[in-house]
Amino acid sequence: MSFVFSEENLAKIEALKLRYPSPAALSLPCLWMAQYQDGHISLEAIEVIGELIGTPPMEIYRVATFYTMFHLEPIGKYHFQLCKTLSCALCGKAEVLEHLIQRLGIRPGESSDDGKFALSQVECLGSCGTAPVMQMNDLYYENLTPEKIDAILESLEGEHR
Amino acid sequence: MSQIEIVIDEKKYAAQEGLLLIDLLIREGLKVPYFCYHEALGADGNCRMCMVEIEGQKRPQIACDTNIKEGMIVRTKGQMIESVRRRILELELINHPVDCAICDQAGECKLQDFYMDYGLYDSKIDQAEKVHHKKHIDLGSNVMLDQERCVLCARCTRFTSDITKTHELGIVGRGDHARVTTMPGKKLDNPYAMNVVDLCPVGALTSKDFRFAQRVWFLTSTPSVCHGCAKGCNIFIDHNKEKYKDERIYRFRPRPNADVNGYFICDAGRLSYKELQENRQLEMLIDGMVSKEDEAVACYHKLVADGGKIVILADANLYTEELEAIQKYAHILGAQLCAPLESYRDESFGDDWLKSSQRAANAKGVEKLGIAQILSTDPVALLINFNHPDGSKIKAQKSIHLQTHQMEGKADLVLPLAPFSESSGTLVNEDGIEQFCPKAIWRNEPLMSAIEWIDLLQGGER
Ligand code: SF4
Ligand code: SF4
Ligand code: FES
Ligand code: FES
Repeated sequence: MSFVFSEENLAKIEALKLRYPSPAALSLPCLWMAQYQDGHISLEAIEVIGELIGTPPMEIYRVATFYTMFHLEPIGKYHFQLCKTLSCALCGKAEVLEHLIQRLGIRPGESSDDGKFALSQVECLGSCGTAPVMQMNDLYYENLTPEKIDAILESLEGEHR
Repeated sequence: MSQIEIVIDEKKYAAQEGLLLIDLLIREGLKVPYFCYHEALGADGNCRMCMVEIEGQKRPQIACDTNIKEGMIVRTKGQMIESVRRRILELELINHPVDCAICDQAGECKLQDFYMDYGLYDSKIDQAEKVHHKKHIDLGSNVMLDQERCVLCARCTRFTSDITKTHELGIVGRGDHARVTTMPGKKLDNPYAMNVVDLCPVGALTSKDFRFAQRVWFLTSTPSVCHGCAKGCNIFIDHNKEKYKDERIYRFRPRPNADVNGYFICDAGRLSYKELQENRQLEMLIDGMVSKEDEAVACYHKLVADGGKIVILADANLYTEELEAIQKYAHILGAQLCAPLESYRDESFGDDWLKSSQRAANAKGVEKLGIAQILSTDPVALLINFNHPDGSKIKAQKSIHLQTHQMEGKADLVLPLAPFSESSGTLVNEDGIEQFCPKAIWRNEPLMSAIEWIDLLQGGER
């Protein structure tokens, strides 16, 4: 189970090397690429990154564990990240969360057994004006209601069929 | 840089401009609490314990990140700074498990000291609310980690990243969940690893070899020099004599010496106290039979009187004073003296930091005294061996061994010799630095050093 960066990512990394005075600055972009490639960041990926940018793996590992957006274990394909901060909490986040728990059959911090869904609660997504807000992978869903959640799930089902 | 004057707690001090304030405070013995700063690791500024008040500055400043300037007025005492310290300490201790009673660091723990000096508040945090971490992690290399007791000063991680450059340790996670660890599946593994135990200001890193063997306040520390190799790292021998028992060594610790070992020692040297105490030669043996002192001395004189060529071998770990005495004695006996240094070479041991491939502590001393180093292979009538490891290589009809530890092979006479910890003297390290080691261990029935043996054998009183 070894990790290899795709040709495309390797090219990106080489291009980025020119941009920074120290290759250690590539830790974050490399971690992102690894996560997009595999869905999570494996220890093998950390070793490979360390090798690529000449940085001890421990330093990469520290960075990877510091940011909550990096996953060191595999998680569900569709990651629902519901904002739990003030505006969203006031505008009905609780109801949305309850509905998500019902529909997905998992609690925050968990992934579904079929590997399709993951649920977590996050801090302010910076879109308080459209609370309650959720980020699903890289997309924002705003002004959420239980009905909207149903619609989102339906569209995902469609995608899967 | 120029010499300047600054005022600390109403007193004037002269110092080099630009010196770190914390270095001056430490040097002058002024009390200031600190976790993360360490002379060997430099400033990291993460613990915030070293706050002092500097006149003209709005907020308190950390002494480990302040360079001194002419006319600076510093206060390390006073209500304001003490309340700041108390709050920082309280923050550091938020998730501390308060299990000092069963912690091996108790008695030499900075957290305990600072709490008694500056804390003394009542905790606002309930035990049940604290964030818990793992308590017994075997990091490897005899180092045990208790993540809950850690104050995240990063001394241990800076040691593996900046000093050994082996990068095994790191602080992972964030906030309440930040903790020291190795990479999953990896171990702390370098020849100097156990230094992190001394660096750790609290009970988070303890030595698997020493923990729970003794409470530190029962130990007596005697300055000495490691005999593991020719580097001559400075150590403390920590020992204790329990009631009715013989005095024992419980650990070696590094003793700072900028000219030799800095603040550190290697793990092999640190653990060499064990070998020192094991397999000791405590009895006098004639033909392998335990005998009394007068019999042994009579036997000795008989063997010497029998005549013929005598070779004396001397261990290059003996103190210079002992070597000198042996040299004189050899002259009187008309014996050939040699101390082959080749026997101690171990190329797999040396590195480019402290560890030397010459593993005899006083090899330089032997050279300085001009003692021959060639191991003679001609058959001789009598060998008198002062603890040299290659005694069995000499073809001698008769042999007398004065030895600290039991050795293979047969000897006509064996006399027990006091090891370095049980006598005193000077060593010359590989860089030519002379270092004196006082006697550390006083046995219930003391053994004689080489000098004492020679005195006795020449007709002196014991
Ligand atoms: S384990 Fe000790 S040395 Fe390492 S960060 Fe924690 S308190 Fe500091
Ligand atoms: S480097 Fe040599 S003298 Fe120093 S601690 Fe290790 S064995 Fe002892
Ligand atoms: S509080 Fe939810 S987006 Fe800001
Ligand atoms: S010693 Fe100054 S901040 Fe830690």
